[in-house]
Amino acid sequence: MSDQVPIVTLSIDGRPVTVPKGTTIWTAARGAGIDVPIFCYHDRMPPLGACRMCLVNVEKTPKLVTSCTQEAAEGMVVSTTTPDVKAGQEAILEFLLINHPLDCPICDKGGECPLQDQTFRYGPGRSRYVEVKRDFAKPVSLGPALVLDRERCILCWRCVRFGEIIAGDDALKGFERGFTSEINTPFTLPAASKFIGNTIAICPVGALTSRTYRFVSRPWDNQRVPSVCTFCGVGCAVFFDVRGNTIMRTQAREAPDLNDIWLCDLGFFGHGYVQHAERLQQPLIRKDGDLQPASWDEALDLVARKIRATAPGRVALLAGARLTNEDAYVAARVFRTVVGTPHLDHRLDTRADGPSLGVSWGMTSPIGEIPTRDLFLLVGCDLTEEYPVLWLRMKQAVDRGAAIIAITPKALEIDRFVAHHLVHDYHEGSAVLAALAQAAGGDSPKTGEVGGVDLGRIALAGEALRGAKRPMVMIGKTALEAADGETMYAEVEDLCGKFGIKPSIMRGRGNAFGAALAGLLPNTSPGGRPLAQVRGDLETVWGAPVAVEPGLSGPHIIEAAGRGELDVLYIAGADPSSDVLDRSRWAAARSRLPFLVVVDAFLTETAQAADVVLPALVIPEKNGTVSNIEGRVQRVHAAVSGPGEARGDWQILSGLAVRLGRTIAYSGWEEIFNEMKTLIPGLEVDAIVPLAAPARAVSAPGAQKSDGRETAADGEYPLALIVGDVLFDRGSMSGRSPAIADLAREPWAMLHPDDAARATVADGDPIVLTARRGSIAVMARVSKAVLPGHVYVPRGYDAAPVNAIVGAGEAVTRVRVRALVTVAGGQGNG
Amino acid sequence: MNDRRRSTILRYARQGVAMLRGLGVTFRYLFKRPITIRYPEEKRTAVQPRFKGRHWLTLYGDGMERCVGCELCVIVCPSQAIYVKAAENTPEHQVSKGERYAAEFQINELRCIFCGFCEEACPTGAIVLGREYELAGYTRESMIYTKPMLTEPYPGSSGRDPQREV
Repeated sequence: MSDQVPIVTLSIDGRPVTVPKGTTIWTAARGAGIDVPIFCYHDRMPPLGACRMCLVNVEKTPKLVTSCTQEAAEGMVVSTTTPDVKAGQEAILEFLLINHPLDCPICDKGGECPLQDQTFRYGPGRSRYVEVKRDFAKPVSLGPALVLDRERCILCWRCVRFGEIIAGDDALKGFERGFTSEINTPFTLPAASKFIGNTIAICPVGALTSRTYRFVSRPWDNQRVPSVCTFCGVGCAVFFDVRGNTIMRTQAREAPDLNDIWLCDLGFFGHGYVQHAERLQQPLIRKDGDLQPASWDEALDLVARKIRATAPGRVALLAGARLTNEDAYVAARVFRTVVGTPHLDHRLDTRADGPSLGVSWGMTSPIGEIPTRDLFLLVGCDLTEEYPVLWLRMKQAVDRGAAIIAITPKALEIDRFVAHHLVHDYHEGSAVLAALAQAAGGDSPKTGEVGGVDLGRIALAGEALRGAKRPMVMIGKTALEAADGETMYAEVEDLCGKFGIKPSIMRGRGNAFGAALAGLLPNTSPGGRPLAQVRGDLETVWGAPVAVEPGLSGPHIIEAAGRGELDVLYIAGADPSSDVLDRSRWAAARSRLPFLVVVDAFLTETAQAADVVLPALVIPEKNGTVSNIEGRVQRVHAAVSGPGEARGDWQILSGLAVRLGRTIAYSGWEEIFNEMKTLIPGLEVDAIVPLAAPARAVSAPGAQKSDGRETAADGEYPLALIVGDVLFDRGSMSGRSPAIADLAREPWAMLHPDDAARATVADGDPIVLTARRGSIAVMARVSKAVLPGHVYVPRGYDAAPVNAIVGAGEAVTRVRVRALVTVAGGQGNG
Repeated sequence: MNDRRRSTILRYARQGVAMLRGLGVTFRYLFKRPITIRYPEEKRTAVQPRFKGRHWLTLYGDGMERCVGCELCVIVCPSQAIYVKAAENTPEHQVSKGERYAAEFQINELRCIFCGFCEEACPTGAIVLGREYELAGYTRESMIYTKPMLTEPYPGSSGRDPQREV
């Protein structure tokens, strides 16, 4: 820092304390290890001074002062233990408890409640209040995850301010005045937030509690297991609170450079699937057309026999995000050496000809740097839906004056924080980007429009971009998988080149980054280096020859299977039938594939069609490491043991290798991790290990075959279909976590009001979306977030799989919308 | 020689007297009423007022369970003999007063040391230590008392006043 912050020295309880000017007395006291009780103040938010609990005595002031709002000054003499302070604390606690119901035996916060603890420590131990307490109906439901008890609320405003300051979603607000003050959601609708779990965590009393954790456990019942959330790819540090062999709740674990102390609601409430009754318990083998229970020996013998009987080049591996780094590494080793195939990949949900396959996924700068950036360019990246906690970090930067430029086909939820929001026609993203690049260069027409976006606004965005000093550029799935994705990526890369930075590829969920790091890519070794470059090392460590020819990538494996070029497909923790962009491709692959092995935790649609299904553990049941979107390697601890005979993936692969004639055995994850260290430079737990950038073969911009016939609207199918990812969906895991399934609600599609009016559809109506290939029934959401002529449909709803109506060959899938009308009985036959 | 003989006779005489005195006690009690009872054929009519025997989960006079499943007994129990799993009352299934009730309540009577801390900690006076001391079983499993075994059959049957305030 160039400008030195002045220092002040004050005395707290007789101890000299030196702090930078501007520090509050409370913060100074905490730094000196002196405990001053608080309720309303939270160190991630500015002071408020609502609860008056932090009173201290400052010499030469006539009254006690609130230490959380009072700045420390030079020579100040503060005491926190004098009789007047004690009397003040007792009076405040007695006052706060006037209306508090003291139903601690029933309250979920009991045992970890700041009000309970501080009353015990600082309270008067008696109350003079004998009148009737405030009486509210309770409990009040504030949405699928949140329960409010207004009687317990002490009106500290932490939850309200969290929504205003940290998340920016204003999910909770204060209503009424004085005695009748209460917290509620605006218009008493279900709380509209992706971060509501945090308000439960920071509530200093039991007013806000979680529906999933309601009355199920006490803090003293829980074993805290440090782990990592592996839903989205941010890899937030969490604790799983385990009672017996059940995960009771997920709590955030402080990680300043990652999630700080926050989580999103998928992280908070998404653990329900782990204990779901439908978890696979034993291997299944298809006999006489049905999947029937079998022993592990039987199942593995059958898989090994099939693999042995097949030429190595006709076997392929698709591994998904459920694997730990060690699982992925052993998978790569077994398939490259023992099976001898180069066809292995973890990427499924991409276009075979798109740019996603040529770039390494993940961020190019650490998450901890986000708050220090001054401009963010989001291209086709719906941050709150895909990587929600990153938004909380970005919000910090926005509060410091950073600007966001977003180029998306659907308006983002964080719309009001986006300085330049360029919502464009779905197939015109590259044109808008080109115009932005031109504007950033300083010359652009100020009038007219491109891709549905006013050029004047693009010019303003370009100006902001030109003035940026520390920009960060993120390109997401919506852009990369668009028909003009290749062009968009090339333009984004050019734009980044002007700032000397690289774009962050915001792709990949779960432990996709660990899979890439561990070598589950068709053309690279563990660590991301080209196979030819490290062949010698690999052969020494693995003790077997390794082919260096690149194999098929995920979408190509599925295409090859569809052409009948593969005989055995081993799928671990992936669900192609819902992951691939075009479901018909997978259906074709399955029908021509002689033998399909699926290793998964649930009988997914893919598993239902498999020849052998092996039950696997999920990440909360495994020991090992996982990587996140910035490349940080974090340790996961097994919180619970798996159901039935389910096994970890590397144990399954090791058993398979033995049956294929080679012993690849490890004593535990540490041994695998140590072996990985010899191949991946810099690999350590808690280190950021970037993937070596692969050599990229970019087809020249403009080479994209944009087929005018397909993009043009026609009368029959007037709307362009935008497919996106949402945080809360109903997939194989999320659909089995009750709170998430509730948050996700019915499958839905978003329409512009004009289009809705034309189809005589209102918000919440059931509708049918029909494309040339088929149709799905969804709930209409009418919103101006999409432009006229577009319809947005989220992926991940098993009941309305949008990939069933998308054609991978089409540049833009066109659909029509019809209201789903219930036909009165007897009239439907005409 | 004579001296030795005399001392031997004296010793025997002393021992004989001591034995007779001892037997005197025996014979005296032989004709008194015994203070032991022939358990299990005979049983005591009453134990001491502060006797701590088997646990009961008590009810209010209206049949509502006093226990709200707060688990304070669980955390205070020095021998970790208690397991409680709480659940939420619904209007159709109102078990206790308040929102919470104990869906499962188990006490391992083999582990219990009958200290009475659970009774002291209980904020609603739900758990009490009763008078029954015949706690034996043929298996360890049978000594884990479950909620139906612990709940008093009707309000007051454990001997505590169902209307009492805590």
